[in-house]
Amino acid sequence: MSGEEVRAEPKPVFKTASFYYNSKTNVKKRAWKSLKQIISTEKALPWPDNVVHYSSINAPPSFKPAEKFSDLSGLPAPYTDPQTRLRFANKEEYATLIGLPMDITAGYLALRGASSIVG
Amino acid sequence: MEILEFKDQKCTPDIIHPYTPTLRNNGIPIVIDNGSYQCRAGWATSSEPLLLFKNLIAKPRKERSKKDTVESTQAPQLQVGNDIINIEAVRFQLKTQFDRNVVTHFEAQEHLFDYTFTHLGIDTENCVPHPIILTEAILNPNSSRQLMSELLFECYSVPGIAYGIDCLYAYHFNEAKPQENALIVNVGYHTCNIVPVIVEQQKERKRELARRLTEINARKREERLIEDEEKLSQLLYIQEMTEAGVDKEEIEKACAEYQIKNTQDLQKHINNLNVKIEKTKQKIIAANTAEEVEEPPTKQPKLNKMVFENEKAMHLFIQNAKKMRQDILNKKMTRKQRKQDMAKRRTAAGQERMRIISQLARKEKGNDDFGLRDEDWDIYKAISKDGGDSDSEAENEKLLELDDVIRAHEPTELDETSNPGETHQLHVGIERYRAPELLFKPYMLGSSDAGLSEVIGYVLSLFNSEDQLKLAENVVIMGGLANLPGLQERILSDLISIRPFQSIVNVRIVKNPSLGAWYGARKWAKSSDLKGNLLTKRMYEEFGPEYFKIHTASNPFYPMPKGQEVEIDVS
Repeated sequence: MSGEEVRAEPKPVFKTASFYYNSKTNVKKRAWKSLKQIISTEKALPWPDNVVHYSSINAPPSFKPAEKFSDLSGLPAPYTDPQTRLRFANKEEYATLIGLPMDITAGYLALRGASSIVG
Repeated sequence: MEILEFKDQKCTPDIIHPYTPTLRNNGIPIVIDNGSYQCRAGWATSSEPLLLFKNLIAKPRKERSKKDTVESTQAPQLQVGNDIINIEAVRFQLKTQFDRNVVTHFEAQEHLFDYTFTHLGIDTENCVPHPIILTEAILNPNSSRQLMSELLFECYSVPGIAYGIDCLYAYHFNEAKPQENALIVNVGYHTCNIVPVIVEQQKERKRELARRLTEINARKREERLIEDEEKLSQLLYIQEMTEAGVDKEEIEKACAEYQIKNTQDLQKHINNLNVKIEKTKQKIIAANTAEEVEEPPTKQPKLNKMVFENEKAMHLFIQNAKKMRQDILNKKMTRKQRKQDMAKRRTAAGQERMRIISQLARKEKGNDDFGLRDEDWDIYKAISKDGGDSDSEAENEKLLELDDVIRAHEPTELDETSNPGETHQLHVGIERYRAPELLFKPYMLGSSDAGLSEVIGYVLSLFNSEDQLKLAENVVIMGGLANLPGLQERILSDLISIRPFQSIVNVRIVKNPSLGAWYGARKWAKSSDLKGNLLTKRMYEEFGPEYFKIHTASNPFYPMPKGQEVEIDVS
């Protein structure tokens, strides 16, 4: 998509005129593989056992219990509102919290990835 | 108190550096630290990188109206790197060649190479006659490197390339006397890498573990959260403070107008004397001079301007305002109560809601005439959990306005109701501490990944206790984020807490953490190491596009498993 436009601009002299990407597919959009796609193709190959990949050096999951912080202020939150599931630190925050409309509370939960019902 | 001002980062367009004969004729290597945040590029012979720019391009959209006109009105020019003067203005048109810390979008990479080489002054035809030393991500996937080689060899016809990992360049070659063993903690823009380097019987064994937070997203989300929070607290704060601030200004103006000589004295009084008395004094003066004030900049003075014929009219007005305010407050209260009741099961409101819902559901399907009459739709209001209508924006604004009015005329009125201590409280924003804390507590954003210190602990646990000692003795922090104040102390204290009692732990930050990789790569490029470790175009053609030379600072080379290799044309 950008190809034509850019070619129209003056090209630096040091570039080879005939260059094109061998591996670029001709689909108009999504011409380049995303990192996710690259990783999954890489994983699918029959590698020897000793090979370490980009994807295999991901951080392990945390084994420590997560601390709880207030969704409103970020302060340590000993309390959770059973209705909205929002965490709060004190009664002033609770007062604001019960006035919040549903979409805002859902947004706060989504921020810390707690929007799924299962979790 | 220290007040920090937020400054938008402005870029100045790069100049085109002179391409001297020495550079042109000797094939001086070009060193490029291609980071996901910033690209640093320069000649191996210069002591500093000549170019420092964000690895970004901005492609302004074509204007709709001009769509039909032909070539002559071309799309606005592509902006690359430091051409982008104001990043915020083109925030949504920004593109980068990176996906996390891996280059995936090579058209963008091409634009950035064009930018780099042009600004280094290169003007040779059809080739860039200089070897390229390029940094890449740790364990960069073969396909990414393959495309990079393709681009550099076939588009720019470079004579040779050397790939290396940024943090290893920074460690091995930028340190005065690098110790043999180290635990490198590279805190970068998109990813954090923890790389243990251990020398064992002449054979270097590297084990890598990295941890990546999609930090840009994380930060953005966090910032959004912070913004929201700040807005909330600031609104409260402003509500309290505007009146004092504005009045002061007015006093100064008024003093000038009336040529009161003892402005200084007045100022001293303000500072020294009882604040409360001063405030009331100010208000009296302000009220007296309000008429003369021209061009009120904010809402508040406008309200102050209101002048009443007599006390009575004013009194009436205020009474009215108070009543309106109380009405809104009452409305809000009942709404809140209703909402709470609705959500609970055993309240009358909740049961009524259920009754209506079940009644609606019971209606026979055949003769369902629901929705024919307009009133039918009101039922949704009745059963919505918000209890019909929520606090409307307009109402909140009105409330604020009324508060202002009342406060302007009867300053003591509103303060009586709230806790007097509250007006003397300062809200302390915790954002400055919270955002960097994400590095250590990714769960604050719902990520299940372990935090930085925990991963360091995990990496250490993969070694025997002897090696653990060696690594913990020399923990080296680098990468742009290493500039965070207190990071060193934080990691040190976390490490001490997980290491055996009284064992040696040393944590340090490298000199110039963000440019270290470039300096290191440059030093390497100048050394004799370069010659044997350069991937030439001939090798590229002979061994296949994925092939590259490995050296102390490079990734390991794992050739693609057989049968999957890209075919080489042998004919």
